[in-house]
Amino acid sequence: MLERRVGVFLCHCGSNIAGVVDIPRLMDTIKKIDGVVHVEDYKYVCSRPGQQIIHDAVKDKRLDRIVIGSCSPRMHEVTFRQTMRDSGLNPFLLEIANLREQCSWIHSNDPKAATEKAIDLVRMAVARAKLLEALDEPVFEVKKATLIIGGGIAGISAALDLANAGFKVYLVEKEPSIGGKMSRWDKTFPTLDCASCILTPRMAEVGSHPNIEMLTLSQVEKVEGFVGNFEVTVRQKPRYVDVKKCTSCDDCTKVCPVDVPAEFDANLAYRRAIHIPFAQAVPSAYVLDMKNCLGVDTIRCGKCKEKCEPGAINYDDHERILKLQTGTIIVATGFEIFDATKKEEYGYGEFPNVVNLAEVERMLSAGGPTQGHVVRPSDLKEPRRIVYIQCVGSRDERTNRYCSRVCCMTAIKQARMLRDKTGAEIFLFYIDLRTFGKGYEEFYESTAAAGVTFIRGRVGEILQDDTTMNLTVRGEDTLLGKPMQLDDVDLVVLSTGVVPPASAKDVARILNLSQSPDGFLLEAHPKLRPVDSFNDGIFVAGMAQGPKDIPDTVAQAKAAASGAMALMGKGRITVEPYYSVVDEDRCSGCRLCVSLCPYNAITIEKNGRAHVNPAVCKGCGTCSSACAASAITSQHYTDGQIAAMVEEYLSAR
Amino acid sequence: MLVRTLRCPNLTIVEERPPVDVDEVDLEFIEMIKKAGGPNIQSCYQCGTCSGSCPAGARTNYLVRGIIRKALLGLKNEVITAPELWYCTTCYMCTDRCPQDVKPTDVIKAIRNVAVAEGHMLKSHQDTAKKVMESGHAVPLDKDTWSELRKKSGLEPLPPNGSSSPKVAQEIRKIAKKSGFDKLIGYTEEPPAAEKKEK
Repeated sequence: MLERRVGVFLCHCGSNIAGVVDIPRLMDTIKKIDGVVHVEDYKYVCSRPGQQIIHDAVKDKRLDRIVIGSCSPRMHEVTFRQTMRDSGLNPFLLEIANLREQCSWIHSNDPKAATEKAIDLVRMAVARAKLLEALDEPVFEVKKATLIIGGGIAGISAALDLANAGFKVYLVEKEPSIGGKMSRWDKTFPTLDCASCILTPRMAEVGSHPNIEMLTLSQVEKVEGFVGNFEVTVRQKPRYVDVKKCTSCDDCTKVCPVDVPAEFDANLAYRRAIHIPFAQAVPSAYVLDMKNCLGVDTIRCGKCKEKCEPGAINYDDHERILKLQTGTIIVATGFEIFDATKKEEYGYGEFPNVVNLAEVERMLSAGGPTQGHVVRPSDLKEPRRIVYIQCVGSRDERTNRYCSRVCCMTAIKQARMLRDKTGAEIFLFYIDLRTFGKGYEEFYESTAAAGVTFIRGRVGEILQDDTTMNLTVRGEDTLLGKPMQLDDVDLVVLSTGVVPPASAKDVARILNLSQSPDGFLLEAHPKLRPVDSFNDGIFVAGMAQGPKDIPDTVAQAKAAASGAMALMGKGRITVEPYYSVVDEDRCSGCRLCVSLCPYNAITIEKNGRAHVNPAVCKGCGTCSSACAASAITSQHYTDGQIAAMVEEYLSAR
Repeated sequence: MLVRTLRCPNLTIVEERPPVDVDEVDLEFIEMIKKAGGPNIQSCYQCGTCSGSCPAGARTNYLVRGIIRKALLGLKNEVITAPELWYCTTCYMCTDRCPQDVKPTDVIKAIRNVAVAEGHMLKSHQDTAKKVMESGHAVPLDKDTWSELRKKSGLEPLPPNGSSSPKVAQEIRKIAKKSGFDKLIGYTEEPPAAEKKEK
């Protein structure tokens, strides 16, 4: 074997390492190792003078392999690789021994043993360093287009930012219109400005933007490829109405004989089989719900087609499969409202006058089923006594453990609007009020001043008088320490929390993303990479990542857009060379590696040999350990390098 | 942690309510409860679902949440000496609805175990336990009218259980003695002769 010239640099990390590990003793031992031609210590090796020491030693001592004993490589590997480049060495000829996280910090109560362990760690690092090979970082082109899944406020915000920056955007939405949940909400807290007034201009902008291609009634079915080069398959359901020809004249709904509960109005009103979800829908076109349509021929019905003057209705419309090529992906698949029938003691679904937050939002909306009047569903009368119950389906071991973050402010906002509009008596039962955002606490205080009564306590049960349909609410005022019973309550509003959409599992599977235990999509790092996923080039924004309000959702959407821009703006990416390589002479084409690879990075080429796609491979080593012919090597983590470390550890000092 | 506020001599004419006394706090108490059958007590966030659901609390001064709060603060003496501790009918409504899975009924039962071990028990509960010792039944057939009623219904005057077989009660007393249950409820066996004389 070639004689290597290894330099070892030991970092004190202030007193983080040196306060526990006996550095002089460590240095003495390391100096004696074969091949180590230089050992040096410094207070902070990561600092500019610290890096200069390495730089100088490489020149003076003609070092060709570097070992650094410092913090975890997760902290400063990037820094030291740059030092390597600056010193004229290939960055992959560097090995870091983790003397902080895996040694001094966890063995601070036993400095002697910690020193022994540090010696072992550095010895092993030197053994591996001698076998390190110079590697090239492959470069890939990044396509300047983004796929955004979900056309709510998150998807819309991200789409506009990207499109305005000059990138092509494909916005995929499963509903007939973009707008998401925000389009169903009446007003926004804490400013009480109307949701539609601030949302619909942005929707219209999306609809007319030359860089945005909107795909409604569509769902992503398959995503192949890798960062920079995703191949996306989208399935678009037929609308049966030509978006370009439809003038939204509403003639068709007047003749349609079918009434169906309107999903957009939280099923509080009816719509026709042919309909537009709401007046400001984008695209501004009707949609025919074929499941409920009587029949598309003149014998069964066919009235709408007959009536449609521009001839926009096309009964022969069919499903389309679209193939898109994008460089980045943003997932903004949103949320669903908690199903309150799961909390039996509150009688939702059984008592007509127990409703949820989403239903009240529709009732409050001037464009909603009751033209802005909140009523008792049992008799459509105006409620005079209203009770709100917080944390329904949130902070609950039996349903969802997390705080849904938006229900406190939504309930306070609704209570405030109802109090101001109707003067009704309102009691709001809460466990803790979480009014954390800008201007939120002030809004809560002014709502209390407006006469809404806040009671600290969670309601135990709701009973119904079956003749009057009035409700009795039982709970405790925990601040008084006394049971509370409110009789003749007209309306109970359950502050239902948010849950991940049923489709979250499919989205995670299709995009190879992880879900946190609560079912929302998992970010790569909760603080430093809050909108990145573990899958390069795929970002997560809005409620899809976890409960959050509109300001936070928009902030994340903009962050995700900027993340995507950072990749696409440069136009190419370098990938760490930690991928497997196949020795074609040894490969028998048995396909074992293909079936085992968790990233679908391996294919069998025309010559019958396995091939690893460097951009997709994560270097996990599953293939190389499984390959019977030892034809696959994991670059930078070769069997030889690992064996050398084990051997060094087991051999006597 | 609890902070003791300085107490001044009587300065007003109103009745003074002393603040929580830190010297009264027994932090071991929570561990005792957790061991005695209420392992989730520290998950409680004091929402009041239990007391809001409680049928006993609707008509008495029994407040489940309040008892748990005091227990969490370590106010052992206050908790185990209060008669309300014994007002729970163990209907399990609170346990059904508790969002934090504290299982309040089990917590109350665990606190009762601690209370009894330290000699605190409500008289009526004590009397019921004594009835078990004496007759083998918590609700013994100790009235003549009941055997009359049985006869009228065409049944034997006494059912074929502990009521007709004094051996059963003897065995229960033996078990109680062996397990220490008799001491727990403050039961001392009276000589059978004396018992007869009294009757």
